[in-house]
Amino acid sequence: MDFRRIEVIFLIVFFSLDIFLFLSFRNSQQLVSSTSNNTSTVAEMHKRNISFGSLDTKSGYAYYLGSQPDESLAQNLQKLNNQKINYEEVNHMISSTLNDPITVTNADRKDVMNRFVQKDSNILFGKQYKYAPQLSTNSQIVYVRTGSLGEVYDKTAQLVFSVSDGEVVGYTQTYVDSMIILHEKQAIKSEKDVITNLYANSEIPNNSKISYANLAYTKLLEAKNSTIYIPVWFVTIKNKDSKVSATKKVNAFTGNIIKSSTNGDNYSAQ
Amino acid sequence: MKFSRLIVQIFLTVAVITSIVLSFFIWTNTARYQRGRNIDVTSAESNKNEIPMNQVISPTSVIWHDETEQHLIYNSNENISLSIQKVMQDWKISEPKQVSKKDGAYYQKIIQGKNMLQMVYPTAISINTFGYLLNNDSLKNDKSNQFNRILVNLKDKKDPNIYLANDSNYAVYKAKLKNASSVPLTKLVKKANINLQVRLDIMKHGVFTSYVNPIKLKTYSYVISGKQDGEYTTALFDSNTNGLVTSEDNGVYTYNYGESKRLVSDHNTDELTFEDYTDTSVPKNQLTFLQRGYQKITNIQNSISNLRLYSADWDNKDLVFREYVEGFPIFKKSQFGSIRIKFSRKGSTEHFLNKVLEVPVPSNQAATRLKSTNAIFKGLQRAGYSPNDVEDIEVGYQWEAEADNEKVVDLKPTYYVKIDSHWKSYDEWTNESAEED
Repeated sequence: MDFRRIEVIFLIVFFSLDIFLFLSFRNSQQLVSSTSNNTSTVAEMHKRNISFGSLDTKSGYAYYLGSQPDESLAQNLQKLNNQKINYEEVNHMISSTLNDPITVTNADRKDVMNRFVQKDSNILFGKQYKYAPQLSTNSQIVYVRTGSLGEVYDKTAQLVFSVSDGEVVGYTQTYVDSMIILHEKQAIKSEKDVITNLYANSEIPNNSKISYANLAYTKLLEAKNSTIYIPVWFVTIKNKDSKVSATKKVNAFTGNIIKSSTNGDNYSAQ
Repeated sequence: MKFSRLIVQIFLTVAVITSIVLSFFIWTNTARYQRGRNIDVTSAESNKNEIPMNQVISPTSVIWHDETEQHLIYNSNENISLSIQKVMQDWKISEPKQVSKKDGAYYQKIIQGKNMLQMVYPTAISINTFGYLLNNDSLKNDKSNQFNRILVNLKDKKDPNIYLANDSNYAVYKAKLKNASSVPLTKLVKKANINLQVRLDIMKHGVFTSYVNPIKLKTYSYVISGKQDGEYTTALFDSNTNGLVTSEDNGVYTYNYGESKRLVSDHNTDELTFEDYTDTSVPKNQLTFLQRGYQKITNIQNSISNLRLYSADWDNKDLVFREYVEGFPIFKKSQFGSIRIKFSRKGSTEHFLNKVLEVPVPSNQAATRLKSTNAIFKGLQRAGYSPNDVEDIEVGYQWEAEADNEKVVDLKPTYYVKIDSHWKSYDEWTNESAEED
């Protein structure tokens, strides 16, 4: 056997060895990514065609907040112009029909309404509200109460414009003047905890997109003539095929998934 | 011919080098892979839903001595004691050395020292437990000594030490600090929004925190929650409830799980007692004593964020936990606090209440103004109890059920006094009100 032949045989042998080594190297790398529990859940979610942005792993702090019934809206009704107002005392809510409906398109409705809300003669305390795309639909533009402690996603502190045929025809408004801190700050679940937990509880179907994950205060219960708010993660999941969205709520203190009651108004304490 | 042979040789060399490089990567990578697995195992052990052990076993009061006097401080928006512990986790603490013992005068000097920030546990814990909670190795080595006060000087740069002090034998331990700054602590002290002037008095039965002036404290309201007996039996009888024997007598329900476990639930008082005759091993050291107690309370209650270790009696293997609000303990109608756990060779016993603070609610009651501690001692003397009879005295919150709303409870501050091993409120001992007129 001449030396050249041996060289060729060696070349073939080493070349196949390289292929084998390369494949096993790639395999071991995949194993590495599946070691950590949470990373594997995230990888599994990607595999099932669930898409989402980067998840925040930082767990922050939040409070139990309380508010007393507030008459600020009723006291300032005379400031409003160019609209027909009806005030419901039971819910402390303004229902208004605009004299001149505002024309909006899907593209410009945020800017148009932001400008409208700023003026006190249009909307009382409008500067304290912020557009919330997560809660808005084609027929409703929702603004939520904001403050130094965070946003409130709740029917007790909301501004909802109704849209009909591309025109904003009226709105309802509820208002909370001030929130008091009822208990020292407590650690809350991070965005990543909440979403992996939702997935583990089969609340996120395959082939869907997590379009929003926001932390906001929402009403827990009413007691002693006050409303108690807790921090809740609002996670909106959109089915990629049917384009239907569903919003899940997770108690940020405990991590429990909140099931809405039948009328959708109250959230049970869990 | 020669040219093609050269190509074969070059390819062969490249192939050999590639195989070496790839083997190297695989080897180092496998190592990383295995380390990754280990990390996973440890992180899986700590359950994220649980309140950590260092929140339950935590100092409850923080006392700050500025240039002139001592103050009990609290921040109703942020628990100062928990925040300080978080800061301390980054400190490098060396092994503690005993400075003095049974020297009352030196002890008083230490606990009344100027610029000292001190955190006080309701009960003494061992230094190695403290090391475990802070994850500090040099503290973990000290297995026998106990303490109930942590002191740090925030101003004196020549005193970079942490002092651990024990009220029961006046022992003081000192440990060198490294990698520690007083700045975050000073910030936390400044943020306090409750500030009450106090004096630490060494008395016959221990060190009492005396309020120099009448004090004004808020009233709190909470929505309370309870569980069905079935939820307790599921948790305590290890979920297998098939062989359960139940009997009822005048609202007292008894659940037996064979001969080994028994739960007695008194629906009149909402008190429950659980006995586990299979749990016959007595904890061997003080750390496992507290760890096992902590495990038991997490098994009984879902919400333990307000619960603190109140007393740990190592000789009798007896633990008491109480709920706290804004740094003050809550005294319910029971003598045992919120949860009491006792280990013995015959089995473990757990007493607990089926009423847990759930959600804070704005209180519509005005703040209460309590008398100074001096006035309280005078009142006790008028009722025939000398200061030496007082085993302990503490401002705490009284549990008052609302008549019109069963689910809401009001917490009103008052003085609690322990005489003859019994805690009673000041007005129960003296028939006088603890409130300032």
